[in-house]
Amino acid sequence: MSRVMTLLRHRAMLTLLVVIAVWVVAGFARDGFASYGHLRYLLELAAVIGLVAAGQTLVVIGGGIDLSVAAVITVSAIALPLLSPAGDPTGIVGFVATLALAGFIGFLNGAGIAALRIHPLIMTLAMATFLQGLLVLIAGGSAVSTDNPLVVWLGSARPAGIPAGIMVWVVVSLAVLVYLHRTPGGARIYAIGTNPLAAELSGVRIGRVTMRLYALSGLFAGLAGILVLGMNRQGYVGIGDPYLLSSIAAVVLGGTSILGGAGTYFGTIPGSILLVTITALITVVNASPGWRSILFGTLVLVLLLLAGREQRR
Amino acid sequence: MRASALYWRIQRRRNRGLTGLFLVVLAFLVLYVIQFPGLLTITGISKFTQNWFPLALVTMAQVILMLTGGISLAIGPLVSLGAVIAATTMTGTLGVGGGFLAVCAAGLGVGAAFGAIVTLVRLPAIVVTLAGSFIIAGAALLILERPGGSMPVWLSDLLAGNTPTALGLLVLILIGWKLYLKTPWGLGIYAAGENPVAAFRAGVPVHQVKIAAYAISGLLTALAGLFVAAQTGSGDPVIGTPLTLNSIAAAVLGGAGFLGGTGTMRGAILGSILLSVMINVMFFLGFDPMVQYVAQGLIIVGAVALPQMSRLWRRP
Repeated sequence: MSRVMTLLRHRAMLTLLVVIAVWVVAGFARDGFASYGHLRYLLELAAVIGLVAAGQTLVVIGGGIDLSVAAVITVSAIALPLLSPAGDPTGIVGFVATLALAGFIGFLNGAGIAALRIHPLIMTLAMATFLQGLLVLIAGGSAVSTDNPLVVWLGSARPAGIPAGIMVWVVVSLAVLVYLHRTPGGARIYAIGTNPLAAELSGVRIGRVTMRLYALSGLFAGLAGILVLGMNRQGYVGIGDPYLLSSIAAVVLGGTSILGGAGTYFGTIPGSILLVTITALITVVNASPGWRSILFGTLVLVLLLLAGREQRR
Repeated sequence: MRASALYWRIQRRRNRGLTGLFLVVLAFLVLYVIQFPGLLTITGISKFTQNWFPLALVTMAQVILMLTGGISLAIGPLVSLGAVIAATTMTGTLGVGGGFLAVCAAGLGVGAAFGAIVTLVRLPAIVVTLAGSFIIAGAALLILERPGGSMPVWLSDLLAGNTPTALGLLVLILIGWKLYLKTPWGLGIYAAGENPVAAFRAGVPVHQVKIAAYAISGLLTALAGLFVAAQTGSGDPVIGTPLTLNSIAAAVLGGAGFLGGTGTMRGAILGSILLSVMINVMFFLGFDPMVQYVAQGLIIVGAVALPQMSRLWRRP
């Protein structure tokens, strides 16, 4: 019994319960909302946010923040067709090259933060500005389309009725959860997020962990970018923009402290689904763009007031 | 006697690190004047200040929040909100006075609401202002769905014409800030930001100080919107968007820290001049706008990293 209570008191569980409650209510109030197809579609959209938020969760637990994820998504979506050689029938070369590029961008963020001691907000913000310019220089502002088979498959295939994107999300989620909670590397992330000085004195190599965190964040954002490209078949400048705020909101809604050192990806998963659900509900209401934006902001704020209070330290 | 010695010691400490920035700004300004000698006329100075004025205001707004240990990601939308309120009210029934009051009320109200949620409910500022930015952006869209509205011509001429009104306003705001720092609430800003618990025990009304700081910050931001509307002669519901990031960048260039208690208004002014001149110089050198983004990213990293590096070298 006490175990059930502990589980219920956990923030990740609360967020999940809110999602289920919203789905049940919306399902009764509106035909078709709770249909299998619609919920599957919501999960497919949540997978993209969930992937971006996976990296964001790691970075935030480590006491930082990554404001360059939107730019990395856009870069990946636009770079993939350029990096895919025509002679490759599987499309793996372009896929791997794009992931490497995204990971490298993240690594540069980490290097600037660890070696040059630039605050994460500034480093990742400057990186986003830098990439924004670079993108238009490379792509010239026009949309690109892809016929990379692997990417198209990721965006549209449904083996056994489950979209490939959701499968990717499940695999990444398991990997991130194991990394965070079952490996020494994960423990070090919590250590540097709680108290960097104490962590360093206990033998954690802060620079190395920081670079790995941001590289992973870049990598996951790159994966999300590839997935978005596969779903849309088209990449354009600005395709990643909506995912910056959603990734941070998903992390915080999931109960991870924005101050670092506390939280889990367990919470971010329902956080991502909750955000997508809210957006879907607002679309159903059929309001003007102004009201939609107000509703979204208010709902997120209310959810934060209910669940996201920072513990007194 | 003792007190004044302490005052100057604090001022010196706050000036540390700004000398380098001051020299960089001076170098950029000289470069700018050589390229564009017209800058040294009254018109040149007026135009230059007008270009830089909105960024200066929002950087000051951001620095005030960073002094309390907060931050705002809603600067851009709030500038837009101020602009559309001004553009829809000032030529309407409310008139210039009423419109001005409406803009002030919006800024103060939004700022105080953020401040109240951050301090009383203890939600992190970055998340509250992020969610708030959606609400404010939506409100701006409701007031004016697409660019439109109008501003009184005389007001545009006064604020954005060939007279250095903006420079005068900036000086007035700086004097006002200096005076505010002499009041108990102003004095408490640094204390509440650096160590809220110690400040509270020393008798600083931490909550009121922080909420007031958020309200002032909101006021400055909304007024920046009014100025932008006067400059362009109309309201645009998304015109402020780039200012969110630029205000943070300029504040950090000016030496403000993210943990509270570190930063100065002179730093904010220098930082915003640097960013603004940088953008202007690149424009006049004929850089492609996209190359400007690349250069801007590099310069911000460089400007923030260099002082850090030199500090590391000095203390091996």
